Amino acid sequence: MKSKSIKKVKVKFKLNGKELELETKPNKRLLDLLRDDLNLTGTKEGCSIGECGACTVIMNGKAVNSCLVLAGEINNSEIITIEGIAQNGNLHPLQENFLKYGAVQCGFCTPGMILSAYALLRVNPEPDEETIKEAIAGNLCRCTGYKQIIEAIKHSTKITDG
Amino acid sequence: MNPEFNYIAPLNLNSALKILSASKSRAKILAGGTDIIPGFHIGSKRFSSTELLIDIKRIRGLDTIKEYKNFVEIGACVTFSQLSESEIIRKYFPLLAKAAETIGSVQIRNRATVVGNFVNNAPCADSVPPLLVYDAKIQIQSLNRKREISLQKFLIKSYTTALKKNEIVTKILIPKPEPELKGDFYKLGRRRAVAISRISLAVLMKTKNSLIEEIRIASGAVTPIGTRLYELEKFARGKAANSDTFKELSIQLGKKVLEITGLRWSSEYKLPVLQQTFYQLLEKVSRDEI
Repeated sequence: MKSKSIKKVKVKFKLNGKELELETKPNKRLLDLLRDDLNLTGTKEGCSIGECGACTVIMNGKAVNSCLVLAGEINNSEIITIEGIAQNGNLHPLQENFLKYGAVQCGFCTPGMILSAYALLRVNPEPDEETIKEAIAGNLCRCTGYKQIIEAIKHSTKITDG
Repeated sequence: MNPEFNYIAPLNLNSALKILSASKSRAKILAGGTDIIPGFHIGSKRFSSTELLIDIKRIRGLDTIKEYKNFVEIGACVTFSQLSESEIIRKYFPLLAKAAETIGSVQIRNRATVVGNFVNNAPCADSVPPLLVYDAKIQIQSLNRKREISLQKFLIKSYTTALKKNEIVTKILIPKPEPELKGDFYKLGRRRAVAISRISLAVLMKTKNSLIEEIRIASGAVTPIGTRLYELEKFARGKAANSDTFKELSIQLGKKVLEITGLRWSSEYKLPVLQQTFYQLLEKVSRDEI
């Protein structure tokens, strides 16, 4: 512990469409802010070093690892977590297809996997299989063997409501 | 658990430099954070004395790629995603675009910066071999001085650079290469995605009348830092651009790397693979050329 005084950081950001303003410790990761302070436990903690993608969220339209983002860095940004993609109580078509095609087994990678796919489909509504694989290369799944996940994403193309 | 530190995100370079110079080496510059944040988390000694993070991402003008008549400028906060999507980079520096595409994952590339890649100066920094063959220079600023230095000179040894405590790297300057220089970048990792390089190579070559007129070779991961192999280049210039020369160059490269690193447990695997991939790279580049 350093003797120096630690000044809290003040951040204003949009989380799943809602404006938020809060103060937090500067060494807090976005991942911990979401899970511990905001109770959004859909974002999972896996490796904590940016390799597994379980903590993936969308920041300003791009998929990022929330374990590699500090609270201060989200000031003025827009964050979307897995809790933010269902609309009016209905699952997002990507979520529906993950269920339909058996892409969920233990479920730990699923939120990150869906958000990586979501970020891809927002900029590229009709990706080919290679592009899908590239988009989820940073999301590890140890259950499915990926095939069902790729199938689910393939069948979610041309969805533009994201 | 992260150590305790303060965080500040200045809006212009001058305030960032002022804060840095007042902080007496307790501060670190934060750009993409893909090295420093997991570094904190695993308790890396490289970052343990950090008391203040100065986030430079709010500073205007550092996140752009600009084309000038003879060179291209890449700002300190340009990410690998920006790099690989840039028309300018793809057109003039295809090896750099290729390296950028192979780094980490989408999530990493959306955050990690190319400048951070070499300021950190890990042996496996994938952008370094391409930047070296393109003769990249970097611009460094402190409160009262602006200087330019070649990237090769900036990189001193693993995790050590010529950057002083009160300085910030603000941009990369790369001269547009002559169009006759053709090349390729090769990376070998343990798997395809999110892999740390074991071997990386960048080659640019220009042939005339079937002779090697110009060649630039740089290695990464197999050498302690990204390195231009000037002796090997000198040896190659003027020789016939054919398989015999490429074989000879590959043997020489193996010898050179062995000389730099010494015999390691991995040498038995790495050296022949390095030689073979280098040979294939030279063949491929020369075929594209002819």
